[in-house]
Amino acid sequence: MLSRSAERVYWLGRYLERAENTARIVQQYSQLLLDLPPEVGVKWHELLTIFGVDEARLGDSDVASIMHYMLADPTSNNSLAFCIRNARDNIRNARDLLPQESWESANELDQYARKYLGPAATGENTFEVLSDCISHCQQINGVLIGTMSHDSPYHFLRIGQNIERADMTSRIIDVAAAYLQKNERLVLRYGSTLWTNVLKSVSGFQMYRQYCQPEVEGLSVIDFLLNDSKFPRAIRYCLQRAHRRASALPRNQSLLSAIDTTIERLPSPLPEELDGASVTELMDLLQREFATLHSVIVDTWFLPA
Amino acid sequence: MRFGSENYSAGDFYDELIDRDGNPRPHARLLAEYLSGLPTDDLLERQLAADSTIEDMGISFTIYSEGDNIDRAWPLDIIPRTIPSAEWDHVERGLKQRVMALNLFIDDLYNDRRILNDKVVPADLIDSSKNYLQPCRGIRPRHGVWAHICGSDLVRDGDGTMYVLEDNLRVPSGVSYMLENRNVIKRVLPMIFRNHTIRPVSEYPSQLIEMLRSIAPTSVPGKPEVVVLTPGVYNSAYFEHSYLARTMGVELVEGNDLTVGDDDFVYMRSIDGLKRVDTIYRRIDDTFIDPEAFRPDSMLGVPGIMRAWRAGNVALANAPGSGVADDKVIYSYVPEIIRYYMSEDPIIPNVPTWRCSDKQHLDHVLANIGDLVVKPANESGGYGMLVGPHASAAEHDKFRELLKADPRNYIAQPTLALSTAPTLCDDKLEPRHLDLRPFILQGDRISVTAGGLTRVAMRKGSLVVNSSQGGGSKDTWIVEMDP
Repeated sequence: MLSRSAERVYWLGRYLERAENTARIVQQYSQLLLDLPPEVGVKWHELLTIFGVDEARLGDSDVASIMHYMLADPTSNNSLAFCIRNARDNIRNARDLLPQESWESANELDQYARKYLGPAATGENTFEVLSDCISHCQQINGVLIGTMSHDSPYHFLRIGQNIERADMTSRIIDVAAAYLQKNERLVLRYGSTLWTNVLKSVSGFQMYRQYCQPEVEGLSVIDFLLNDSKFPRAIRYCLQRAHRRASALPRNQSLLSAIDTTIERLPSPLPEELDGASVTELMDLLQREFATLHSVIVDTWFLPA
Repeated sequence: MRFGSENYSAGDFYDELIDRDGNPRPHARLLAEYLSGLPTDDLLERQLAADSTIEDMGISFTIYSEGDNIDRAWPLDIIPRTIPSAEWDHVERGLKQRVMALNLFIDDLYNDRRILNDKVVPADLIDSSKNYLQPCRGIRPRHGVWAHICGSDLVRDGDGTMYVLEDNLRVPSGVSYMLENRNVIKRVLPMIFRNHTIRPVSEYPSQLIEMLRSIAPTSVPGKPEVVVLTPGVYNSAYFEHSYLARTMGVELVEGNDLTVGDDDFVYMRSIDGLKRVDTIYRRIDDTFIDPEAFRPDSMLGVPGIMRAWRAGNVALANAPGSGVADDKVIYSYVPEIIRYYMSEDPIIPNVPTWRCSDKQHLDHVLANIGDLVVKPANESGGYGMLVGPHASAAEHDKFRELLKADPRNYIAQPTLALSTAPTLCDDKLEPRHLDLRPFILQGDRISVTAGGLTRVAMRKGSLVVNSSQGGGSKDTWIVEMDP
């Protein structure tokens, strides 16, 4: 497999995953705001911090401009439209390796996004449009998983997806942890709503309910999202999957040992006295680890810049 | 002939579907009956279905400098263009004859130059051609074949005669659209295929990969590694490059994916290190393929690739230097070239051509420019040409000056009354002019596509069919007729 193609397929994995996660988070976030009283202090700006956007960048923007920035702005590399476009372009440019149906599907999604994300950002059918984007991403994923041979292109795709997914989960935990610190009294009362929302934004609510204790409570949610080795959006699971895919690639030593190192950073069991500040610290550490995994991949397999 | 509520007439032009009396031609009878029985709304609906299929399938061509929106949906008119199989068999023989002769010609030019010594073609014409590449002298590619993939443009004149208008021997494009047009038409008009026997076009990718393997260096152990070399994702034909790589199951590479080793072999950079490449189907122009040998400013090519090719370590399709034979002045000599190498008369005629390098020809062209089509010798895509009858007096004057300043670079031809076929325009069928580009593959053997890419000038009366200039396309049917 060409180094150039590996790069494109890897980025396809990342953008496709980022698109789906972005749609899901924005959708859940708008639902959450309907549930929480203003004094809890959850605001639209917080949404931006999940994506690492400097709040100062948007200043006193209103909901409309934040939504536009997150969904439709083609120049913002955080927008759903941008992720979809890039996923589509990477399929276009690696089309010789990917199933034809994935290209047709990505093209449809891109056309859909161009047409409807603008209105969705202004509040028109936002929920439905985001649901459509999510299911379209799932459809593309389904085609890729169901029809690609489990060979190098597939491994790069899945490594990209798993790293992106782990990264996104860590960002979501990070933002929730910030509330633990900010306002303990209110969080106690509304905490379960908040953590339910965290689980829903990674489609993890049902699985959490099935495998963990029925009560939705901060530390056990964090533990589930960090350490579960069966839930596909838990960080440990993502890393184990990436490890498995990497072990089928040539010249994989550096990546395998970097993934091992990252897995060792996951505290299991979680210390009982974990507070908001230490969760934030841990998530920052993990995000730096994910960035390292990315550079190892670039250095090992991609064309030199 | 009536289609829906409208009468269809092609006037004085030769129409591919109906004859002068307005009756369907025998091979088009079933199609004409089907169309005349179809309500207009139904027809429009199918055209819309075709358009949206094309968008969904991402069949596109790329236009430069449109900023972000680089892909344009491929324009396809759903009414097929039909050719009877008996006529096509004749054309096919003619195309094989022509391409075989052209390859013998190119091989001769870079080696013995017999045809020049025998003064059948003037030597100064070759030596002054910017497409005659000195670094190719003395090379003998396998099977003596230089132009492995040729796209020849055919047109039909008012009396029904099919002519070769030009040969594209450098990097002809369009074959992927021929294949996709058929796929789309099968989706939107499935029922017509049931009543017709239409020759399939789908073998092309297998024939192409076989041909590319057949030209690989003989030293290759096992199955040769074939790649498609593209200038990149912004090239106007990137869709096609990627399509061909995918349908052949080979890697699609860009210049910096390849490197030439100290051993003069070509390698591609893979995730497992360097891997040897044996045949390169290059979709980059000659002078861009190797900055060491040609344009030092080319960022698209691979430094040293000419060295590897000259050493016989890699095959290039088409071979560099093949373009010498698709110069439009050389074109005017093709009938002589065929007689010289094949000892046969040409099966498909050339369009009569005046060479402006010849004083008498030039005078004729200057005097009659309003009736002629003037073309530069080395442009493609319909750029830089003058269609005399459609141009203003000022344009005529401008071209007279151009011709006088650089006569070697121009030829002129009579304005042909290109044939027409019914084409869906707004909400009714109207005659539109068209041409046909079949593709000929030559390696250890030679094959021709069943039909080719039909291009249509969508504007009323226009003769310009290029997709970069608003042309459309049609599916092309070679219809089997009972003997």
